[in-house]
Amino acid sequence: MEQKIEKSARKHPAHRHLKKLQKIKRKHYHPIIHEIHKKHNISKKTLFYVKEYGPHSHIPQTIIRESLRILLFASLISSLGGLTLENIKNIFVTIVPLIVALPVINDMIGNYGTVISSKFSTMLHEGLVKTKWWKTSELRKLFLQIIVISTVTALLVSAMALAIGGLSNYFIDVSAVTKITLVIVFDVIILVCILFLMAVFAGLYFFRKGEDPNNFLIPITTSIADFGNMCILSILVILIF
Amino acid sequence: MKLFDKDFEEIFYSQILSLLGGLVGGTLLAIYTNQLLMLPGMLILLPGFLEMRGNISGSFASRLSSGLFLGVINPKKYNTRIIRGNFIASFLLVILVTLALGIVAFAFSFFIFGIYAIKIIPMALLAGLLANLIEIPLALYMTFYLFRKGHDPNNIMGTIITTTGDVISIISLLITMVLV
Repeated sequence: MEQKIEKSARKHPAHRHLKKLQKIKRKHYHPIIHEIHKKHNISKKTLFYVKEYGPHSHIPQTIIRESLRILLFASLISSLGGLTLENIKNIFVTIVPLIVALPVINDMIGNYGTVISSKFSTMLHEGLVKTKWWKTSELRKLFLQIIVISTVTALLVSAMALAIGGLSNYFIDVSAVTKITLVIVFDVIILVCILFLMAVFAGLYFFRKGEDPNNFLIPITTSIADFGNMCILSILVILIF
Repeated sequence: MKLFDKDFEEIFYSQILSLLGGLVGGTLLAIYTNQLLMLPGMLILLPGFLEMRGNISGSFASRLSSGLFLGVINPKKYNTRIIRGNFIASFLLVILVTLALGIVAFAFSFFIFGIYAIKIIPMALLAGLLANLIEIPLALYMTFYLFRKGHDPNNIMGTIITTTGDVISIISLLITMVLV
């Protein structure tokens, strides 16, 4: 059955054009993209992916060329975050539940960055994002879903961190519960909003430049998540405690 | 607009899983904090090192997901040109990025704290390779598996990579610390 489908696909006139498209050097825009899109109703995003990673392109070279600079930048940002770790450590040592929560919050924020980035990249590839991106219903839905999920999970993290902190003889009263919950929930919500805006603006920028946003967005959002988490958390601790 | 749909469930449950993974990773790090802190520059290396698995394996899984959704990648074939290319690229990126992380950690320790910790460079490189020898094939297998089962890998892969990555990266660092 599958072989039959493959054979019939090969007979399709668009197949010949796709083969032709793959042979074109990836750096050059060619009118054939527009022609195939018009004539055979194949999405421009599919044509872009075929051209980007087609037989004529050197896949590792393409990925490394597009990713390396941004990965090195992300590494530098994270290392700067590492430098601040020493100062943050001194403040956190007195607040046990926040020490417990720190790696979990870092993971959570990073995860939201990855989900937002990869889903937004796929939306761009599938052509779902409108010129006025804020009017795209899929994007609005994604934002609301992430905000609801991040608030609920932040509350859960606060509860778990307080419970573990309580077990390690940290004094827990109403004031401590309120402060720690506020710090964690505000930190997560502020960072999710920043990540969302960053992913949208950077994603649109790289996509319009003709690059694959997948190669840029995750390093950008995760490094902002890491660095931003340490900064915002310490600001909130100074403000609230 | 239906807010509580399949996407919501997938993201939510994967986050719950991540909370547990984060706690395991955090506990592991807390247990071995003294050993890890013994090496100068380790605190500078650590955030970037932990983040790297998301940046490289996460982008790898995300590229595969886009290819799977567009129909350019066949979810039943592992040995194809696109996947081989992605695999090679990811490993080369690991080598280059861990080398850079090691050099940055060394430079910061040397110029800011005045500590000569050259050992941090081979340690970062070896630990990165070791961690990604597990992480990248795992990302490939899981992305294909989830897609074949009808899930959106974009919703779940980030969490799987972060959760497993924390534990794998910290264990790799500990193993490398013994070796170097």
